[in-house]
Amino acid sequence: MSPFTLEAGLGVLLLVVFVAGLAARGSDRRWIGWLVLAGVAGLEALAFALSPVEPAPGAIFVQDGLALFAKRLFLAATLVGVLCGLAPAAGPFARRAAEYHLLLLSSLLGMLVLASARDVILLFVAFELMSIPLYVLAGFAKRDGTAVEAALKFFLVGSVSSAVMAYGLSFVYGAARTTALAGVARAASSGDPLLILGLLAALTGFGFKIAAFPFHMWVPDTYEAASTPFVAWLSVAPKAAGFVAIFRVYFEGTGAGAFWGPIVAALAAVTIVAGNLMALPQENAKRLLAYSGIAHIGYMLVGVAAASASGTAMVLFYLVAYVFGNMGAFLVVEAVARAEGSEHLGAFRGLAQRSPLLALAMLLFLLSLGGIPFVAGFWAKLYVFWAAASAGLYWLVLLGAILTVVALFYYLVVARRMYIDAPVHSGRIRLDPALTIAVLLCVLGVVALGLWPKPLVMAALRVAAPLY
Amino acid sequence: MTDFLVRIHALSVITWSPFVGALLIMFTARRHPLAVRLIATVSVSVSTVLSILAYAAYNRDAAGFQFYEKAPLVEQLGIGYELGVDGISLLMVLLTSIIIFAGVFASWTVATRSQEFYALLLALVTGVYGVFVSLDLFVFFLFYELAVLPMYLLIGIWGSSGDVRPRGIFAWAYRETGVGSKEYAAMKLTLYLLFGSAFILVGIFALYVSAGATSFSFLDLEAASFDPRLQRWVFLAFYVGFGILAGIWPLHTWSPDGHASAPTAVSMLHAGVLMKLGAYGVVRMGMGLLPDAAASLVWLVGGIACINVVYGALSAMAQVDLKYVIAYSSVSHMGLVMLGAATLTEAGLNGSVFQMFAHGVMTGLFFALVGLVYEKAHSRAIFSMGGFGRAMPGIATAFTIGGLSSLGLPATSGFVAELLTFMGAWASAHPWWLVPAVAGTFLTAVYVLRVAKQIFWGPPSPHFSHLEDAKGPEWVAIVVLVAVIVVFGLLPSLALAPVDTATVPLLARILGP
Repeated sequence: MSPFTLEAGLGVLLLVVFVAGLAARGSDRRWIGWLVLAGVAGLEALAFALSPVEPAPGAIFVQDGLALFAKRLFLAATLVGVLCGLAPAAGPFARRAAEYHLLLLSSLLGMLVLASARDVILLFVAFELMSIPLYVLAGFAKRDGTAVEAALKFFLVGSVSSAVMAYGLSFVYGAARTTALAGVARAASSGDPLLILGLLAALTGFGFKIAAFPFHMWVPDTYEAASTPFVAWLSVAPKAAGFVAIFRVYFEGTGAGAFWGPIVAALAAVTIVAGNLMALPQENAKRLLAYSGIAHIGYMLVGVAAASASGTAMVLFYLVAYVFGNMGAFLVVEAVARAEGSEHLGAFRGLAQRSPLLALAMLLFLLSLGGIPFVAGFWAKLYVFWAAASAGLYWLVLLGAILTVVALFYYLVVARRMYIDAPVHSGRIRLDPALTIAVLLCVLGVVALGLWPKPLVMAALRVAAPLY
Repeated sequence: MTDFLVRIHALSVITWSPFVGALLIMFTARRHPLAVRLIATVSVSVSTVLSILAYAAYNRDAAGFQFYEKAPLVEQLGIGYELGVDGISLLMVLLTSIIIFAGVFASWTVATRSQEFYALLLALVTGVYGVFVSLDLFVFFLFYELAVLPMYLLIGIWGSSGDVRPRGIFAWAYRETGVGSKEYAAMKLTLYLLFGSAFILVGIFALYVSAGATSFSFLDLEAASFDPRLQRWVFLAFYVGFGILAGIWPLHTWSPDGHASAPTAVSMLHAGVLMKLGAYGVVRMGMGLLPDAAASLVWLVGGIACINVVYGALSAMAQVDLKYVIAYSSVSHMGLVMLGAATLTEAGLNGSVFQMFAHGVMTGLFFALVGLVYEKAHSRAIFSMGGFGRAMPGIATAFTIGGLSSLGLPATSGFVAELLTFMGAWASAHPWWLVPAVAGTFLTAVYVLRVAKQIFWGPPSPHFSHLEDAKGPEWVAIVVLVAVIVVFGLLPSLALAPVDTATVPLLARILGP
């Protein structure tokens, strides 16, 4: 089968949604969302049916194990994201459903291509295809001043980072005289300073996209102002894509244990410290999750800093655990916000008595994010630390482990609101079925990976091994 | 008997029976308070009976780890579900059974959300059992986390807040953080213990990696020999990690707040068993796996233990809140436990393990009694109470027996433990340790007798009326615990015989042939 199957399928889906948008009448066009859901589910099934293709030498578009692993992850995240975006009846989301989903799918197409790109130019184009719809989506509620501000901030920071990345990649081309990553790798072994400079500049660009400290400023504001179903997806899928691109450029492109190992280790350390500390004073659930997300990026960078096949595999595992845990947490925030009209942590008071299911789900997500045994996040952190310890980065492991305790503080504060504090309003919270299914999917992911991580770990190890 | 216990996988049954009970409570016994309690009683009774049988059937001549079970979990990484008990862990399992058996009865009157309370309590007990019986360090760590986490909700929801009046230059900080409230205590305890577990995890990984990254089995790691420098820092990591749980100075401050705020059964379990889990970790993993480091660092362990003994006792003297007195007395007694272990003598180490047991039962009794007093008088302030002995003679008698054990009166289990520890300290390389140890015992007498006199035997307080003695299921807890104190005080060899089979080889490893 052609390596482009998934992309072609997504392209067809895009066209269908486009036509459906033209044909749609009335102010409630949410049925388009169901169409997209069915399409994405079909693509996900297709992705699991496909098997990796041995890349031809010099191919710039490959469907190897890593690409397929990443694509399955992107599609799964999008599936959950679309599912929870179905419900809001009022406002622009119902009327402009076609527009919303078209943008979401375009960004997804960018991610899919990115995961396969083995050429610097293709990589950059895919990166932009992924990023530009995100700016529009962040400001989707265009009459809302804060959303527009958030989108503008996101756009400015994002375009500057793209520019820096393009500039860096131009150096890479200048030094390597080729845009193919295989050629870059050959050139990197000679240690050309221009090439190193270019790769460092590109790392800055990637840092913006995955929101590592100090390139994280857009995250809290964008998350707070944009609509929650979109943020749930934004907080995981583009980050995962960024990491896949990093693996492509920095592992396939330069080989393991190169000059940038210590730099990534330092980046990981400051990101973990800053993300966790800045999350402490947050009172808004989405801002809290934004900063905690930054900290998680730091933990994933620990695995990148290990610069080994096991490190890469562990980051892939971490990404999966993070997708379920973080999206799930945002979905619960959305459910609570719909019931209470507030994203403030105070809205979570007494949730355990008003909706035991929602509170238990949130507790599981928080424990997973906090890295507590029997849920996915524990294994994620453990494996990342394991890889780092094997690479001799004991100081980073100790730092990360200690800051986990800081993270647990703010996660437990949320748990306390839900379980210990008395509710402000009485009565049970009514849950929307689509949202409930999305939450349950995330719970399933978190718990299943927590109890039996082995198959996914093995899959990740198989995928990561050929990069070295 | 032994064959029977091995055939039914006794250790697994002991460990998981409470967990099954917790699941049953969560899913079947909705809104039936009595059914909740019956399920809890049955599930811990299974564990208790089996642990008594295992204790009786343990082969004292063969020694070593018995009732061994093993099933591979992740073979590639050398993680296995491996269980076994030696003399030390067997005594700890017995202690856990006694305390939780009493604890289920002591919390019979929990009114709000009792279904969740019992479910969390039983899940926690599974964690405690698991720590004592698991021989695979990775599984050990998982159980350890399970033993720590439910504590947050148990204290946060069912705890009680103390009456702290902020004074002095740090008053604003007290108000800001809410010192004395149950939420503060729950958060402090959880974060301290998880902070410790980070050190433990790093230590475990360091050993695993440097032993060739093939097995997490305690037995395999025990057979490996580690570089002395690595041993030193891993020992320190274990000492800090487990030491936080054991309440070593100056990392003990979570324990008074946590124990004072926790509901009765949780205080019993936490002070009675979980703190021992810390000491057990230092002895089993610190001293057992890192003998060279243990030999070279005992001066530190013993020195800090001396501070613990005296500092804990002095702090207990200064308290006006009954639960804080008991909580600080635990800090002081845990000092004796660590001191006994640091002597590196047979008598001292036996005394240390025996002290874990004796103090566990004693402090469990104390917290059960304090819980009863609080329930009937709705006060924890020592100086507002008085003359309770008339209205509650049973509670008063039991409290006095516990107090006498605490200060080491002969014919109680506390006496044997302290005597052995002192003998060990005298025979050790640092005989001066005896001075703070004995001083601590003296101070213990001061604060215990002071409290007993004020609350139970002094002139009746005008603030209280309608007091009554313990009744119904509450007696079960008191009688069981008092009986254990007296029986093990009169027949210490019941515990010492199996313990000795484990401590002698441990010392031989540390001190060399």
